[in-house]
Amino acid sequence: MDLILQQTINAISLGGVYAMLALGLAIVFSIVGLINFAHGDIMTFGGYGIFLSLAFGFPPVAALTIGIGAAVVMALALERTAFRAMRGADVVILLITSFAVSEILKVLFQNGISARPVPISLPASWSGTYQIGGATIGVVPTVSILVAFGSLAGLTWVLRRTATGMAMRAAAQDLEMLRLLGVRANRVVAVAFALSGLLAGIAAVIWTAQRGSVDPMMGFFPVLKAFIATVLGGLGSLGGAVLAGFVIGALEVMTQAFLPDSLSPYRDAIVLGLVIAALLWRPDGLLPAANANRS
Amino acid sequence: MTLRKLFLSTTAASLALTAAAASAEEYVIGVMSAQSGYLAPYDGPAYAGFQFCIDEKNANGGLNGTLPVRTIVKDTRSDIAEGVKVVQEMLDEGAQFIVSSADADPTIAAAQITMADGIPTMTFAGTAPVLTQVGEHVFGSYPADNQQGAVLAQYARDQGFERVYLVKSPDSAYTLGGPEYFGAAFEALGGTIVGTSNYSLNQPDFSAIVTTIKAADPQPDVIVTWAWEPDFPAFIKALRGAGVTTQVMGGDVLDTPTVRGLGEVVSGVVHTSGGFPEEGSAYADFIARFTAAKGFAPDNNYYASGCDIANMIEQAVAAAGSTDPRAVAAAMAGIENGTAIMSNFTFKGTDRMPLRDVVVARITADGQKEFVLRAQADPATMPKP
Amino acid sequence: MDTALEIRGLDVRYGAVQATRGVDLTAPLGGVTALLGANGAGKSSTVMAIAGARRIAGGTVSIFGRDMTGAAPDAIVRAGVAISPEGRRVFSALSVEENLTLAGSVLGDPARAADRKARMIERFPILGERRRQLAGLLSGGEQQMLAVARALMSGPRLLLMDEPSLGLAPQMVDRIFAIIEDLRDEGISILLVEQNAALALDVADHAVILANGAVVAAGKPADLRNDSLLQAAYLAA
Repeated sequence: MDLILQQTINAISLGGVYAMLALGLAIVFSIVGLINFAHGDIMTFGGYGIFLSLAFGFPPVAALTIGIGAAVVMALALERTAFRAMRGADVVILLITSFAVSEILKVLFQNGISARPVPISLPASWSGTYQIGGATIGVVPTVSILVAFGSLAGLTWVLRRTATGMAMRAAAQDLEMLRLLGVRANRVVAVAFALSGLLAGIAAVIWTAQRGSVDPMMGFFPVLKAFIATVLGGLGSLGGAVLAGFVIGALEVMTQAFLPDSLSPYRDAIVLGLVIAALLWRPDGLLPAANANRS
Repeated sequence: MTLRKLFLSTTAASLALTAAAASAEEYVIGVMSAQSGYLAPYDGPAYAGFQFCIDEKNANGGLNGTLPVRTIVKDTRSDIAEGVKVVQEMLDEGAQFIVSSADADPTIAAAQITMADGIPTMTFAGTAPVLTQVGEHVFGSYPADNQQGAVLAQYARDQGFERVYLVKSPDSAYTLGGPEYFGAAFEALGGTIVGTSNYSLNQPDFSAIVTTIKAADPQPDVIVTWAWEPDFPAFIKALRGAGVTTQVMGGDVLDTPTVRGLGEVVSGVVHTSGGFPEEGSAYADFIARFTAAKGFAPDNNYYASGCDIANMIEQAVAAAGSTDPRAVAAAMAGIENGTAIMSNFTFKGTDRMPLRDVVVARITADGQKEFVLRAQADPATMPKP
Repeated sequence: MDTALEIRGLDVRYGAVQATRGVDLTAPLGGVTALLGANGAGKSSTVMAIAGARRIAGGTVSIFGRDMTGAAPDAIVRAGVAISPEGRRVFSALSVEENLTLAGSVLGDPARAADRKARMIERFPILGERRRQLAGLLSGGEQQMLAVARALMSGPRLLLMDEPSLGLAPQMVDRIFAIIEDLRDEGISILLVEQNAALALDVADHAVILANGAVVAAGKPADLRNDSLLQAAYLAA
């Protein structure tokens, strides 16, 4: 019973990170049709922001804030320098552009900072534990879950209740129509990138708090899982991305926890196999985007 | 090591070529050095240490004071196919010795190219004992995983540990072999393995493994993994974050400033190492010379290990009395208690993975490394590859 | 200034395909100008170019006497132009009210936007009844009313209406045309694109006929109604 409770917390904690990353990808994809492969590098940049601010002697809370800010700035900078010039291009051209951007950033991290992981040491008091009915639960995974749910709820509020959120939902459906109403598209797109950067920055904070180091590939692996989540959820569907992020996190933790050791090398294959099966059952994803037939 | 420095050194090397073409004799060593990718963190320092000691020797007339060395350095981008290509190019340019990347897989690939001419091939820091099985011309330089595992197991048993939990990854020979060698030696010494978990390299999350360890019955009193960065930091953070305070031990990859920089969570972690710069040792002297010349202190063993490869080649050439590839390889294989800075080395009687001292070190609460012991693996308990 | 819109020599291209060739068009202030022609004649390309959503390869567009050639859509909206596009293009995942609020946000004045929204709901009571519903759940005719109301939110002086009757039931078509007449009576200039030439000519003060991207006839509806060119323009398609 304790074991199940603890593994469930692990699953939600990991799923929360995937959900935030997948949501960031889905927001940008739904508006400009860009599958942003550089999203992982935005997250990595957030991690380096934390590392550098700690190295310059900022207190931990300030460093984490700076890390989130760094990810937002990087997302906006990429939009302005690389992706705005390619606006309206074919989805494949956009994808290749983002590959190129991602490679350039990785090389910059490697040569500018270090090819090796650099440590992030947060106060030991942050990584304590507490007891619930005999089960020992870590503070960091718990905080991760709260932060992830808080971020997702906050973003839902922004999308549902603010004028900018309304414009973003409209842009996701028909960016040209939004422009025809006189709304400045560049601002809406920039806000979308900023929000995706914000989510990547928060993910970077949770990730580095749990893992203790940053390297040039840090963002690549979780974002790969987030990509799978966006496809599983239904490309461009925000709710689907979040749901599928949690599903993938849960599958990963459960296969790790309960598969016999001899099957463990096939863990990723099993998870991906289940995803493919789910897509055969629902080809448009778990929660397809409302405007899948957009012209 | 920046690309510019690499460019300069290769340019310098090719200038030396034109200059040396007239001279009677020189020894040409080809070096595979990944400037990017997963091997760059190991190849970079190892090459820097190697070239530093070659330069020192050349300043004194070359190997054994008489044979100047010319190095050919080529980037592999950590790509095996690219590695094979550059090895072939270096052979075409007259390389008489190949120093290969710091992992078993690229070394095995390189050794297959050098096999035809029997060109001696030595890995920068590959430690999987299987790598020398390609042929008589392939050598390790670093204490092999089975030696490290055996020494660490002996230390663990001496400390009274009885039940080990192994965390390993089948994705690389190192991360799989280290814990298995440890486990075999630990059992041979009367300990028991109470559980094993597998992870994938770059696995996002270790919380499930940690929860499994917490549920293990009986509970381990020591946890052993050969995980490297960033997996080890992720694992230890998850482990300590879940309130598990069990002793953790690991392989020589933990001997890095990054691991020591993790703070509280790594305090007390014990790991193996290839050497330790005790006061007055040859290693401490190397650090002082290197720091004076380059302006920064080598912060890991790969620098010293790279320098030791230069020492091994020098002694093999001296013993062979010629530069003939097969003679040099045979002489290398026969060296007993050769002198080097990290520790002395013996190839005689081994599978060409040198028998060397293994250091056991502990990470202190303030992020320093403290010396625990230095020992050679006991052949009686050392697991066979 | 006596024209709402004046286009000279307009060329719009999609890659190698030329959608319009040297189109000249004048819409007088305060009247309904019908832009007629078969499917693919270049009507929508002309309208989208006026709205700033298509790159203009040649020619000029001036709106209320100001040259707006190549201006961005938001500048064109600020110049007093709004569009009810072909296919309505309401934001189906937003509520009826959100569609209106979004269009009103460009006024930059929440009080004025709220006031205009109230007036739209007064004018189109059905939108008031359905204000919380998703726009995608409205009937075709209701969506068309929403598209018109949304366009009116910015307080335009020139309204571009692209195929407002397409796919609607006859009584709904009558309602839409009644609305067009009301708007004209309020002083809004209208450029009306229609495939249903007979209906359009009934309300228009002036008409232009396009075929294969070029103007083939222009003049008073009465003169064009039985014009062989009009028949030819439709048969040509």
